[in-house]
Amino acid sequence: MSEEKKSIGSITIAPRAIATIAFHAVRQSYGVVGLTSKNLVSGLAQAIVKDPTHGVQVRYDGDSISIDLYIIIEYGTRVKSVANSVSNTVKFNVEKTLGMPVKAVNVHVQGLRVSDVD
Amino acid sequence: MSDSTPNPKGAPPKLRYPTNRINGQDLKNMTEASLTWLRTNQQTVNALNVFPVPDGDTGTNMVLTMQAAWNEIANSAEKHAGKMAHAIAQGALMGARGNSGVILSQLWRGFARAMDNHETLDATTLVRAFVMARDTAYKGVVRPVEGTILTVAKDAAAAAEEAGAQTQSLFEVFNQIVPAADRSVQRTPDLLPVLKQAGVVDSGGKGLYFILEGVLRHVLGLPIDTPLATVLPLSAVDLENSVESIEPGQDYEVVVDFRPAKPLDLELFYANLESMGTSIQVGEGEGMYRMHIHVPTEKRYEPIDYIMGLGTITKVAIENLMAQMEEIEQKSAQPKLQLAAIEPGQIGVVAVAPGPGLARVFASLGVAAIIEGGQTMNPSTQEIIKAFENLPTENIIILPNNKNIILAAQQAREMTVKNVHIVPSRTVPQGLSAMMRLAPDGDAAEVAADMISALGDVETGEITIATRTVEIDGVSVTEGQVIGLHNGKLVIAASTLEDGVLQLLQHAHAGHFELITFFYGVEIGKNEANRIIDVVRAAYPDQEIEVQEGGQPHYHFIISIE
Repeated sequence: MSEEKKSIGSITIAPRAIATIAFHAVRQSYGVVGLTSKNLVSGLAQAIVKDPTHGVQVRYDGDSISIDLYIIIEYGTRVKSVANSVSNTVKFNVEKTLGMPVKAVNVHVQGLRVSDVD
Repeated sequence: MSDSTPNPKGAPPKLRYPTNRINGQDLKNMTEASLTWLRTNQQTVNALNVFPVPDGDTGTNMVLTMQAAWNEIANSAEKHAGKMAHAIAQGALMGARGNSGVILSQLWRGFARAMDNHETLDATTLVRAFVMARDTAYKGVVRPVEGTILTVAKDAAAAAEEAGAQTQSLFEVFNQIVPAADRSVQRTPDLLPVLKQAGVVDSGGKGLYFILEGVLRHVLGLPIDTPLATVLPLSAVDLENSVESIEPGQDYEVVVDFRPAKPLDLELFYANLESMGTSIQVGEGEGMYRMHIHVPTEKRYEPIDYIMGLGTITKVAIENLMAQMEEIEQKSAQPKLQLAAIEPGQIGVVAVAPGPGLARVFASLGVAAIIEGGQTMNPSTQEIIKAFENLPTENIIILPNNKNIILAAQQAREMTVKNVHIVPSRTVPQGLSAMMRLAPDGDAAEVAADMISALGDVETGEITIATRTVEIDGVSVTEGQVIGLHNGKLVIAASTLEDGVLQLLQHAHAGHFELITFFYGVEIGKNEANRIIDVVRAAYPDQEIEVQEGGQPHYHFIISIE
């Protein structure tokens, strides 16, 4: 639904397409071990979702793109740094792929995964 | 950098540490060496940063993370190696910055975990530590991207395992890990296409390599606080600007192009050159080398003789730097800044000036200290305090001369014991207008009030180029257009500077005023400025028009109308 006028017609990009770009960027981000649907907070077992619209919400208000990420972070990493890196990576990748500015990337840390205990 | 990896042949190397086992304090010293070597090479790492986001901060982030780790143990007398490793990991975790920093902290975490309950570190534990560092780091990501710091950690661990199967010497194991990490770094472009496109190796991987190499260099007693002799691409040997760094006594610049008869031992080459002179640069391209050096008069032929023995010289250039310097000095014969001398008890005025010309104007009006800054380069509160704290008086008046600096000036007032008044000038002309009312021996509060009342005496015009397409206050502007601001507000857009100036003056009703002063910036030459101002003179024959060099960036003209 994000549109950019071209002389020979218009190009339309669905939020789902943007979500897919963001999803792949998140999965490659260090420290993020999963995405979780916004409403599945308690179900951490279902953390890792393959559907690229789960855990990523894209909003386009006719003017700018905002992205919300619902993620699980590895226990024992510095959450703030991981969250910052994720939002930078997602913003960069989406902007690079779309050629459109991303206004905001909101990171919601929905849980931590404990894989080892120190 | 495999050519520089210390690998002495023949006699066994002299080591600073035992090879069978080390304790917590040894580990601490090695960590410091890692940090130092990484910091030495920080800019190199920053310059490589293209992935995941090309923001050029990988080196900085890794240094800050290692610095946090070091801060945690800097004062520790812990002898227990395992406890020391956990403290390092804890510090790295707390201070992890950026993507690479987080990964680094995970590597430390795994490393430390392998050393639980180990009072000392031996070769077997070291191998296990590298393996666990790798495993822990890989757990932190859903889909690891290869060709990054993770890959280098993986290859380092593999090398550790291989070495551990052959030897029980800590040094031997480490001595195999470092070159393996180097090879791994060199391979990263093959694994990650974005690196190959940019023609770089992975920055985080390179950073990890420096961390490991720092330990090895330290153990071998090699220097870690000066960057290695590096060979630049031939195009990067910057001979144009090197003249700026002339040292006394180094009168001649010698440049030699040559083709070495056999592969050049760079370390040795640099060491020999260093005995002759300074400002050494070596460039390489397709087997050709170019050497650049500054030498004293009596040694001007030495580098040539020396290189003659190494291979075939194709070209030699010798230049007398002192003669060059004289030319440069003549060019830069700018009037020196003469700041007002202040007696105790008098009022000292501190002004922010965005250009050297404006600084001179302020100085001529009696300013006691100048802070460089302005649009897009706002001075910090600290810089403002520094400017006035050494003045020999308690009474200070600050002229921010930019609306974005007023806040920093107010903070400076809060943070000093001096009696500081702020005259909130939002533009340079306002500041100049206020300076007209300065009475250095008056009561600071009264003088400041008087100066504030003068702010309204002047109209400010500013001419610059729009950096983006935008519509503000009903004026629509296209990127690259000339725009005019009247008292800080965007009022006109034009296609030429001349048009912009005229429109702006018209908008400011310059015809009703007496004096128009133009300060032209660095982006416009003196001739061009004079040409435009001649047009203005023709349009405003009844006004007195002055022109001064302002030297400010971004703004082609700052115009004072009074």
